[in-house]
Amino acid sequence: MIRTVKPKSARTKRALDKKLPKIVENTKTALFVPGQTSNKALHDITVDLSSFKKPYIKRFTKKNDVLPFEDASKLEFFSEKNDASLIVLTNSNKKRPNNLTFVRMFNFKVFDMIELQVLNNFKLLSDFKKLTFQVGLKPMFVFNGPVFDSHPVFKLVKSMFLDFFRGEESKLQDVSGLQHVITLSAIESDDHDESSMSKLPLVYFRVYKLKTYKSQEPKLPRVELEEIGPRFDFKIGRHQYPDPETEKDAYQVPKQLQPSQKKNVDVDSMGDKVAKVHVGLQDLSRLQTRKMKGLKSKYDQINDDDDDEGEYDDNDIISDDEDETRDFVDANEDLSGVDSDIEDEADEPSKKKRKN
Amino acid sequence: MSEQKELKPVTVEKPIPVNYDLGNLALFDPNPLNPLKISDDSTKNDYLKETTRDNVQLLINQILSLPLKQTTDNANGQNSTMTLIQLPDPTTQLPREKYVPKAKDATRWEQFAAKKGIKKKGKDGKQVYDEATGEWVNKWGYKGKNKELDSQWLVEVEDKPTKKGGDDELIDPRKLRRDERKKLLKKNELQQKRNVKVASERK
Repeated sequence: MIRTVKPKSARTKRALDKKLPKIVENTKTALFVPGQTSNKALHDITVDLSSFKKPYIKRFTKKNDVLPFEDASKLEFFSEKNDASLIVLTNSNKKRPNNLTFVRMFNFKVFDMIELQVLNNFKLLSDFKKLTFQVGLKPMFVFNGPVFDSHPVFKLVKSMFLDFFRGEESKLQDVSGLQHVITLSAIESDDHDESSMSKLPLVYFRVYKLKTYKSQEPKLPRVELEEIGPRFDFKIGRHQYPDPETEKDAYQVPKQLQPSQKKNVDVDSMGDKVAKVHVGLQDLSRLQTRKMKGLKSKYDQINDDDDDEGEYDDNDIISDDEDETRDFVDANEDLSGVDSDIEDEADEPSKKKRKN
Repeated sequence: MSEQKELKPVTVEKPIPVNYDLGNLALFDPNPLNPLKISDDSTKNDYLKETTRDNVQLLINQILSLPLKQTTDNANGQNSTMTLIQLPDPTTQLPREKYVPKAKDATRWEQFAAKKGIKKKGKDGKQVYDEATGEWVNKWGYKGKNKELDSQWLVEVEDKPTKKGGDDELIDPRKLRRDERKKLLKKNELQQKRNVKVASERK
């Protein structure tokens, strides 16, 4: 654990604030750590991998004695010290030759891990030497094969590589920035039994550069690909899934980023917007019915509205003494309440009679 | 590619329709690969390239049909318009790097203010106009207005000696003023500490 101290200068405070959790997160930094048994080939492989992740990388030069599946505390230390949440550890021994361990961290603790062993037929960027690509561009991804959606280990591989190489999150994309594509391919595995590790099919890692030509369509180009390398065939080794508790935390979306839900507005399965509208109670007393002299409000026997009376008033009968009319209205209201009760009672016996 | 050649199509036919995550510029192809072609080293790379090409074509078709946005970039004094593609939100959920930040605990004052319904006043700037010199000066801080008295070479003294510091001792009002400020600072620091302590105890 790194000692946390109160920052003494504004500069250190800013640096520490950068490490704090944020609502909209920064792009994950990748750390390349050579293990105790790392070799030249692995070094070259990590250099090539890091070139797609630039500038969000840090490469260690010294070897570190880390066994991630036994004790990951050292990796957690590296992660916290460098504020990096993606780690690639390289090791090579007889049992696991040319082994890359991809580790993802959450809150400076190991989230998930997967071992990918590079088979000996790999090719580096320099072996192609044809085309280069610009640093820091967002790559496109293509995942070939249904296993990436069905098998848990391959889902992990997919999530890991997407997370690793996707670069900056942005809403806008320049057309000229679509230059290279990273693809992972795997054939269908025979059994979905997780215990049989050795039988898992290989994962083919390829990187291509796009070339666009005129096509039959006026606006869309015909795409051709050229391999720029590196070319790796990965054999999947050990892996560690995230702890369900931390997984919940890690996939949490902050309230501020959740789309605000409008009340009573839905989108149905067909993609149509459906809304529920509540209309207030209708005021039937104001409804315009048939106009007849006898229906004018001044002839009303029960005066509900004081205000309306003024308009129709020609004779000035009521306006002479307003106080009286008010009393009259009050009395009417009282009466009407009583009336309705009486009516109800009167109705009931009549119904009973009918039943009888 | 020469002009005489027949232009190639952009359409690709797939038995199972592919899935897109355009926010991440990704495509997921659920069509199974041919195991025979992959196991044979001579055809493997070409086969992978061919499958990927089809998928990239599909992806590019989708991306280019997204809504566009024109932006003007004012670089080097020259206006250049750029056409950017507006990407939708990513659909593939990826884990966060750190926790969702928790809201800070309310300080004792904030709790009190909420209870009393006191609203925060907007800041009305750090500087005030000094009529005497005709310049804008800081209210506090470096050469602050609240330190005006400190630098006076001549200060009026009250007839009665101030109570602090003994019986009849005359104390420099400049020092008194300064002490007052320092006292406020101390008080605020104590309040801060108390807020931190209360917040940590609650967790």
